[in-house]
Amino acid sequence: MCPHSSLKQEFLKKWIMGLQRCSFSKKNMSILERKKTIKLSADIAMASARNGTTRWSRALISNASKDGSDNRLVQQILGPESNTPVAAITNKARTRRALVCKKIVKRSRRQIRRRRRKCVAAAPVKAVTSSIAKHLVRKRTQVLKTLIPGGEFMDEICLIEETLDYITSLRVQVDVMRSVASASVRASEP
Amino acid sequence: MEKDKAFMAEVLNRTAASRQPTWNTRGLVAEMQMNELNSATEQVGNWFLNPNWDNSMDQSDPFESALSSMVSSPAASNVPVSGENVMMRELIGKLGNICNSGDASCYSTPLNSPPRLNLSMVNLPNQSTLAPFSADPGFAERAARLSCFSTGGNFGGLNDPLMDSSKLSGNQSVNGTQSNQNSPMAGNSGSDKKNTGVSRSSSPENAESGVSKEESSVSQQIPSGNDAGTRKRKSIPRGKAKEIPSPAAADDKVASENGESNSKRSKRDGAPAGNGNAKAANDGDEKQSKENSKPPEPPKDYIHVRARRGQATDSHSLAERVRREKISERMKFLQDLVPGCNKVIGKAVMLDEIINYVQSLQRQVEFLSMKLATVNPRMDVNMEALLSKDMFQSRGLLPQGIYSMDSSAQAFPFGYQPQQGLPLNNVIPNITESQFSMKTQGFQLPSINGFTDANPQVGSVWEDDLQSIVQMGFSQNQPQSYQGSIATGQVKIEL
Repeated sequence: MCPHSSLKQEFLKKWIMGLQRCSFSKKNMSILERKKTIKLSADIAMASARNGTTRWSRALISNASKDGSDNRLVQQILGPESNTPVAAITNKARTRRALVCKKIVKRSRRQIRRRRRKCVAAAPVKAVTSSIAKHLVRKRTQVLKTLIPGGEFMDEICLIEETLDYITSLRVQVDVMRSVASASVRASEP
Repeated sequence: MEKDKAFMAEVLNRTAASRQPTWNTRGLVAEMQMNELNSATEQVGNWFLNPNWDNSMDQSDPFESALSSMVSSPAASNVPVSGENVMMRELIGKLGNICNSGDASCYSTPLNSPPRLNLSMVNLPNQSTLAPFSADPGFAERAARLSCFSTGGNFGGLNDPLMDSSKLSGNQSVNGTQSNQNSPMAGNSGSDKKNTGVSRSSSPENAESGVSKEESSVSQQIPSGNDAGTRKRKSIPRGKAKEIPSPAAADDKVASENGESNSKRSKRDGAPAGNGNAKAANDGDEKQSKENSKPPEPPKDYIHVRARRGQATDSHSLAERVRREKISERMKFLQDLVPGCNKVIGKAVMLDEIINYVQSLQRQVEFLSMKLATVNPRMDVNMEALLSKDMFQSRGLLPQGIYSMDSSAQAFPFGYQPQQGLPLNNVIPNITESQFSMKTQGFQLPSINGFTDANPQVGSVWEDDLQSIVQMGFSQNQPQSYQGSIATGQVKIEL
């Protein structure tokens, strides 16, 4: 369960690279800007550590490159390895389109099913409870989809896989950041 | 009488409130028919003073006004009109010639039509459609009116079962014929007329409900007719032009509808699991106690799924089951990953835990980045600062000898225990940082060699990492933000 050290290394390396690149662009950033840059570089480093293998990483990078302000940052961070993000983004666009179509089909199917269900006579208690359970599960998957980057376009199976990967990456990120933060706190102490 | 009051009050509520259960009103009407209606009507009339209703209510008869208000109150909605119509018909049929002249065009809210009964004129069911009526007293008028109600308010297609009219909106001819048929009915007794009228109106409505018994009592027919009416009305917006066949055909229609939906379902799910279904069908054996989902074979490109014993074998449920098992499989992984999920069983709670965990991790990232931002005003990663003594203390698990940079490297590794896999993971990031700084100082190789030589036990583990890190350091031509040079003496080993 402990994440691989290689992942940590890679993340740290990329993160520091990104931070260094960003620090050269602007001096004297406000604290919020700094925080934003730090977080962004950390996220991008984490995502690029996956090398476009997972959907959430692609979604994260493409989301970040969508905004104008962050785009520059992303390019800086991912500059030399530009082939990866470009391919990833186009890939993401393609998968996104497919997933959006899938989503539309699913929605229409759901509506048809709901319409049909209305005609069905009142179900026994067991079915009612199961429908309640289904409703709960559906609600929670909706929430999960909002949490995971790019999750709205995934179906349930993919969603759970991506969640797994995302959780491990987040853990790595948190660990590394915590150690760096504590170290820098201690370093700054007189 | 009290019962009647209650019934009529209920009817009023229903008409005012909802579109739906007009059959309730019909039931009430049926009840009412049992009782003496004379007194009841008066009482009814009192309740039905509808303030919204702004027609010319210059009728002396409270019952008439009541009925008309009842009819017009759901004027906005076309739905319950038919119910009201038929109910009205019942009431009026029973009451006979209670209502006299003076009842103007009270039945149509939007139309303040002159008080003449024009049987040919029937309002189309756009509004609630009540044709203007003359003030002819008597039975025939009532019956005609009600029939006009029903036809107007309903589909416009309330015909005889003999006449198949698939158009539901505005069949003047139909209405004309019906009105023609009404007149011969004038001479009939009230109950007969009522029955036939009801049967005529309800028989097409029965098409939907599938009730084939028309000879049953009126009360039965009324609710079923109403059901069919409402259902039929619901089907109209769907854009299907339904015929009004005989009740026998109705069952077929309903059945075909179900069949169509079934086929749709099977077609839809045929694609993902069609092959699986084929396989299951080929097996033809539900008594498999195991489910085998084999990997796709190279020549064919689908997953074989066997139906378990005692389970359905249609493609839909098979695909569902495969999907469910995949999901539960992955949830098990998540259970191991997310702390605190072991005790929980059930998708919803587990998902809840997962959501909480992900949110907490994200919040931690935010917080840490904010912390870093506050700590580091220049936003440069100060490697030498990081490598200072405090770094060691933060590690905690590790004898802090790793950061020796020079010949003091020999002092380092002896205390280090190779079995500390965990601190190894924690150390590596620090090592990378140290590598960075070392690079700037030009200390790399000897130190690394010193490291590896000094600690042969972990050397195998470390070498790969260190090599990779060194290569990383070498390959990077990043501008160095390191301030000055790290004097090796600055870095002390703290044990």
